[in-house]
Amino acid sequence: MKQKVNAKAFKALIAMAFAISATVVPLSQSFAAGESLGKSCTTEGLMTGTKSTSLICVKGGNDKLTWQRVKLASGSGRPVANLTPPKGEIEFWHYRVELGDQRALVKIISDFEAKYPGTKIKQVVRDTTTYNNTARVAILANPKAALFATSRGAIFDQFAKSDMMLDLSGQRYVKQNVVAKGLTAGQFEGKQLGIPYQYLFNNPIVNTDIWAKEKWTTPKNLTGWVNWCKDAKAKGYVPLAWPGATRGQAAQISNSALMNSAGSYNELANNLADLNSGKIDLTSKWFEGVADIYVKLRNAGCFPDNATGVTEAAAYNLFATGKSPILPIGTFAMGSIVGLNPNLNGKMELMSMVLTDGKVVAEGIMNNTYTLSVNKNSNSRDQKIANAFLSYLLTGKVAEIYANETLQHVNVLDVEYKNVNLLNTVSFQAKNTMLAPRFLLLNAAVSDLTQDALIQIVGGKSPDVVLPDFSKQIKQKLAG
Amino acid sequence: MGLPAAIIFTGFYFVPFIANLRYSLTRWDRITEPEFVGFRNFVNLLTNDDLFYKVLGNNLRFTFLVVLFQTLFSLIFAIFLVKNTRTNIALRTLFFFPTILSSVSVGMIWLFMYDPNFGAINLFFTRLGLEGFALNWLGSESSALYAITFTQVWFHTGQMMVIYIAGLQQIPQELYEAAEMDGASRWQQFRNVTWPMSIPTTIVVMAYTTIQSFRAFDLIFAMTQGGPNNSSNIFAVLIYQTVFSELRIGYAATQSIFFIIVLVFVTLLQRKFLNSRYEK
Repeated sequence: MKQKVNAKAFKALIAMAFAISATVVPLSQSFAAGESLGKSCTTEGLMTGTKSTSLICVKGGNDKLTWQRVKLASGSGRPVANLTPPKGEIEFWHYRVELGDQRALVKIISDFEAKYPGTKIKQVVRDTTTYNNTARVAILANPKAALFATSRGAIFDQFAKSDMMLDLSGQRYVKQNVVAKGLTAGQFEGKQLGIPYQYLFNNPIVNTDIWAKEKWTTPKNLTGWVNWCKDAKAKGYVPLAWPGATRGQAAQISNSALMNSAGSYNELANNLADLNSGKIDLTSKWFEGVADIYVKLRNAGCFPDNATGVTEAAAYNLFATGKSPILPIGTFAMGSIVGLNPNLNGKMELMSMVLTDGKVVAEGIMNNTYTLSVNKNSNSRDQKIANAFLSYLLTGKVAEIYANETLQHVNVLDVEYKNVNLLNTVSFQAKNTMLAPRFLLLNAAVSDLTQDALIQIVGGKSPDVVLPDFSKQIKQKLAG
Repeated sequence: MGLPAAIIFTGFYFVPFIANLRYSLTRWDRITEPEFVGFRNFVNLLTNDDLFYKVLGNNLRFTFLVVLFQTLFSLIFAIFLVKNTRTNIALRTLFFFPTILSSVSVGMIWLFMYDPNFGAINLFFTRLGLEGFALNWLGSESSALYAITFTQVWFHTGQMMVIYIAGLQQIPQELYEAAEMDGASRWQQFRNVTWPMSIPTTIVVMAYTTIQSFRAFDLIFAMTQGGPNNSSNIFAVLIYQTVFSELRIGYAATQSIFFIIVLVFVTLLQRKFLNSRYEK
């Protein structure tokens, strides 16, 4: 009898070992054997995960690469448990109407309510456009909306200027549970007014099957990308499935173009601030350089035919059907792609898009958004509930539910990504990434016109015509 | 008796109109307090806003084409389908069908139809060997407005056809019988009986179509959001963008005042033209 049990346990152990090795090992290089603290490693920046115990491959003083403990949080110490809420009910306002988000949030809220009987969280969800246009005024008039979300850039800026967000700087869970790099997007005038929950990568997604079949390697610079586009086009592919008809998604690639367009992040931020205020316009030397990147990519055949008429749905289709090896949008598109073609599950990876032949400031883009804030105008009991629920969302186990259900990386430590696509792309968190610069254009009119100018260039117009024309339009908008 | 109507009119039309006038004299972003700027918005709009004139041109062109083709097609369909036969009733239902769809659904359907690389329209032209007609319909500045015009006409012709049929069915049959006895041809019957008798209906159809084309916000927003480069932008979309995207409430209030002026002017012009025909 005992022998039978041992045999069963042994078989189960073998099966488990096989299952783990068959699924996890091929998924990510970061799980390759041999990584332990202080041991040598080969790829700088490679990370074994986003746990407080994860390791990262870094270069030491002796120029040797070794595995070191990764420090992702801003404070020291292990992640903390969530705060305990008082009894009562609050509203949680946000804009994530997506099915995956709804499934995840309904589960998380019901778990929270079961853990704390008498505490209720009521979701108030609007689609992004409606939310961006109406939520600020509605929340200002509704103190019951104790927890709410904003997106990075102009919307967060508008909410922050309305003085309706509580400063969360002193909270332990902010210092110890959240990836420090991701906090910046929730800061305003030195205060931590929101916690960006999602950690996105607005980098091109690659179909690894096509990439392997064609034996391509990642282009290292702008010349490399130009040559790659020519080669891919000659082989019958649409090199980049770029949706020129959907401004918001067409703009994602502009992050990569802007990323290395200036000598440093600060210089780039200053340039964008000057563009935003009208101090410089699109005919500046710096922006002409950005436009020139688009011209080179266009002339190399990187974009689809009739690029300005390609919608987001059509671009997804190009990528999901294998007609295009690259979708230059970001990790948040992976869920939709798997929905269109389940065979691509686990066959997508992120790629750096370095569009300069000069100095490389950053090799990729990340963005922190879905920023959660506590309402400054709510009463103290409701603020406590909101704060407790926010701290609950920011614990590893809970964030894990959200991440794996929505196929989005999160800004939270100790999250175990189980989805193959998330595992394949998580190592980007340790790369030299830049916070998506296009959102530094806080004036929506300036931002839209800047993107429209670039879209027009892809459509075939010359920068000599487009840049002065759109500069004039921006000037008139700023004057109005 | 008139009190409820007066209350509704005051609350929902007059007060917002006065508030709009007040906002047009301010610079306001919905975050900070409104700042009084006098007539600066009006001066800016008229002297330093190329987009305003571009949108005005788009809107007039769009309205003219929609009114022309929608009225023409709905009248033609109504003439052919005026008799209450089974086939005609079935065809009327078919032509009316797009009207019951939501504008956003129609926009999405036509967005797929117009897709330059996968769309049914370009596929049709390509299969026929007419590659020259396979355009970047919504992605090109030269064709976007016309593509949307076609969709708008397709969308609402059935509705106007029903109004015309109701009007045509009121024309006394004796007039046609008398015309026939005088030896009038079909065309002469149309010119001397149908058209003059249907002018009152035409006035209604054209006024309604004009207002409808000025308000085609949802269709344009779903299809191009006014792009590319504002080539398909009309007042309703521009005002929305100025308010909600750019947070320039005062300026949008000024735009809306000009929007009303243009709309009233166009409607009066139409009425004058058609009334003169009717009086003749």
